[in-house]
Amino acid sequence: MPGPSVLDELELILADIRGGGGGQPPDRGDGGGDGGGNNKRPSHGGPPARRYSTAIVFAMISILMFFMAMVAAFLVLRTTSSLWVKFHVPRILWANTAVLILSSVTLEAAKKRLAENNTPQFERLWWLTTTLGFLFLAGQLVAWRILVGEGVYVGSTLASGFFYVFTAAHGAHLLGGLGALVYGAVRRPDPSRLSRAAIADVVSYYWHFMDGLWLFLLAMLYFGS
Amino acid sequence: MAGFEKSDGEARPPRSGFLSRHVFRCGHKAVGLQYLWLALFSVFLGMSLSLLMRLHLAGIFSSHFLHWSDATPERYAALTVLHGSLMVFFVLTAAPQFGFGYYFLPLQIGSQNMAFPALSALSFWMTFVALVGMTASFFSTPEAGLLLWLCGAAIFSLAALLSALNFSVTVVDLRARGMILARLPLTVWSWFITAILSLLIFSILLASCALLLSDCFAGTRFFGLAPAASADVARRTLPAVWQRWFWFFAQAEVYVAMLPCFGIVSHLLSVFSRKPVWKERMAVLAFCGVGLFGFCVWGYHMFSRGLNPNSPLVFSLLASSLGIPAAFLIASWLGTLWNAKPQLTTSMLFALGFVSLFLSGGMTGIFLSRAELADAAITNDFVTGHFHLVMGVAATFAVLAGLFFWFPKMFGRKLNERLGKIHFWLTFAGVYCVFMPMHWIGLLERGSGSAPASLALDTNGATGLREFITAATLVTVAAQLLFLANFVWSLFGSRKISLKNPWRGTTLEWFVSSPPAETNFQQEPAVYRGAYEFGSPFAGEDFIPQHLAPELVAKYR
Repeated sequence: MPGPSVLDELELILADIRGGGGGQPPDRGDGGGDGGGNNKRPSHGGPPARRYSTAIVFAMISILMFFMAMVAAFLVLRTTSSLWVKFHVPRILWANTAVLILSSVTLEAAKKRLAENNTPQFERLWWLTTTLGFLFLAGQLVAWRILVGEGVYVGSTLASGFFYVFTAAHGAHLLGGLGALVYGAVRRPDPSRLSRAAIADVVSYYWHFMDGLWLFLLAMLYFGS
Repeated sequence: MAGFEKSDGEARPPRSGFLSRHVFRCGHKAVGLQYLWLALFSVFLGMSLSLLMRLHLAGIFSSHFLHWSDATPERYAALTVLHGSLMVFFVLTAAPQFGFGYYFLPLQIGSQNMAFPALSALSFWMTFVALVGMTASFFSTPEAGLLLWLCGAAIFSLAALLSALNFSVTVVDLRARGMILARLPLTVWSWFITAILSLLIFSILLASCALLLSDCFAGTRFFGLAPAASADVARRTLPAVWQRWFWFFAQAEVYVAMLPCFGIVSHLLSVFSRKPVWKERMAVLAFCGVGLFGFCVWGYHMFSRGLNPNSPLVFSLLASSLGIPAAFLIASWLGTLWNAKPQLTTSMLFALGFVSLFLSGGMTGIFLSRAELADAAITNDFVTGHFHLVMGVAATFAVLAGLFFWFPKMFGRKLNERLGKIHFWLTFAGVYCVFMPMHWIGLLERGSGSAPASLALDTNGATGLREFITAATLVTVAAQLLFLANFVWSLFGSRKISLKNPWRGTTLEWFVSSPPAETNFQQEPAVYRGAYEFGSPFAGEDFIPQHLAPELVAKYR
């Protein structure tokens, strides 16, 4: 077994040197140093706030795959199964969709107010978005009640099963987004660690994604049946 | 500064509570160790199950086995399902990716912790719950057992997704200064690519489980669990849907399980040959290639299931093409070994064993990718032999190689080399004796299937081979006790030597204490070069660490 070498002595020297391994700092490259202008690093050092945006992008890809798997099942069964029966989308879904699109609009407006440093308006619009989100979910539940009233249950036909599963899965993910909206409104993390703009960014990516996903699922259900 | 809490400044209050300090630990090293313990437990449980299977097949202890449980084919099937689930989920996915990944990813990229420490703890405990659920499923009735298994699979998928998210964000955002992508060790590349792929495929498994659970609980009929009154056509087409969904996930999953092993082996071959990885960029591209192809070959499990008649051709082509990135990888490994004087430590022996197993197991894969052969000429034994060699045992060897390599860093002690080498040779010979004859049986059985009874000799040959396999299984399983003894003794009985860099590695983890401190590094390291600078003489050594500034290198050369 080789004994302690020059390298161990080097480490001791290095440990004394503040600010990195001595000499010129390495070229930043595309590494974990300065990223783009939106890389907000906390003033006392800590994991960059950029990780939340990165995380939400990866999460959106994953969630998209989740829904694509179900949509693929929907498409395959629609064309190959002899059990397929046409399904009629309840009217209230169109109102719900309008509500959701409106909530995306208000969220973008909120972000704009924040960028203009108009905090009271930002908060108002943020709460409006949250309320519209809850309204959307309530509307989905109403749609379910309407269907149940017509005697269309989750197990009635394949198409109705997909309707319930799609709306339930989307609703569950939207609830998560609502949680993030409420968190953004209620909790104030240390601004040097995580700014409100960063939170607003991350939440808005997710919210618009949920919006787009809903439009896609609705189109599937409407045209697919 | 990518992620450093400066240690000067107010100290954070220590976390209070027994649970948060000892159970729900968010430190990445603690979580990595928890996963390794989980995998260790699962591999021994899975091995015992396979022993039970072998003994049952050989007719020994059959009556005991049947007495203990109800004597149905479902019970044997449950045994195989649990063996497979334990091994694929809780050993092959848990150990190389989560076990070593959680422990060493932050260390190798120069970070203090994962991007989302709380998620690390959450995914471990979800994995634990999934393990309990799946194990419990074996002891239940078939119906309840199936539901338990599905719930376990769903929970495991979610845990895997959270981990994959954690890993990806950590590699993208928490690398130290100078740790550009080109300087990443191959182990980090493999963990990263595996994480990206996992984000895609575990969502699919989760969706499939959700749909199937909906069938079980909510009365939907996505997969054809229809009441008896339904049309015959439905019965025929719908189960194939589940097969498609399942194999789309599962086939990609086996490559996902192998990728971290590729990373570990490529890394170790370089360290112990004292040579850079041959064609490092090609190796990384090959990792991506294997992952990508893995998405495209699910149909080769369904050659005989009545898919579109043209699809076997397509899937055969795609499956055979998998050989291309695999060949690049093997070329890289052999290129690294070429003209080297390898240090044949136990770790290196296991890495070399991996190359051997992957090569021989992979060769038989080429045969299996041909639909005509897969259908007509072989039985399931051939397939079992193939995937055990190329996936099960090879991955285990990679994990053992990693364990012998990183044990000194994790525990400040070394595993006994002599015992390790004996264990290696016994296991290496043993697994070939167990799984190679299965190929022969597969060929024999099908070959004699349509032959007249006068070829009874062949059938006897198969029986003889089966007995040989059973005997080899017993010996190989017994040999693992040597490893267990080595592990336990080294962990508790041997002296703590706390050598920082026993293998003279270049990557960042070898320059912190063994085991590393809670925050890994006192200050953020800076990285100046790639991870495989071997061969150039420097300060009496034959390697240059990643983190030494060029001025110091020039000074001490």
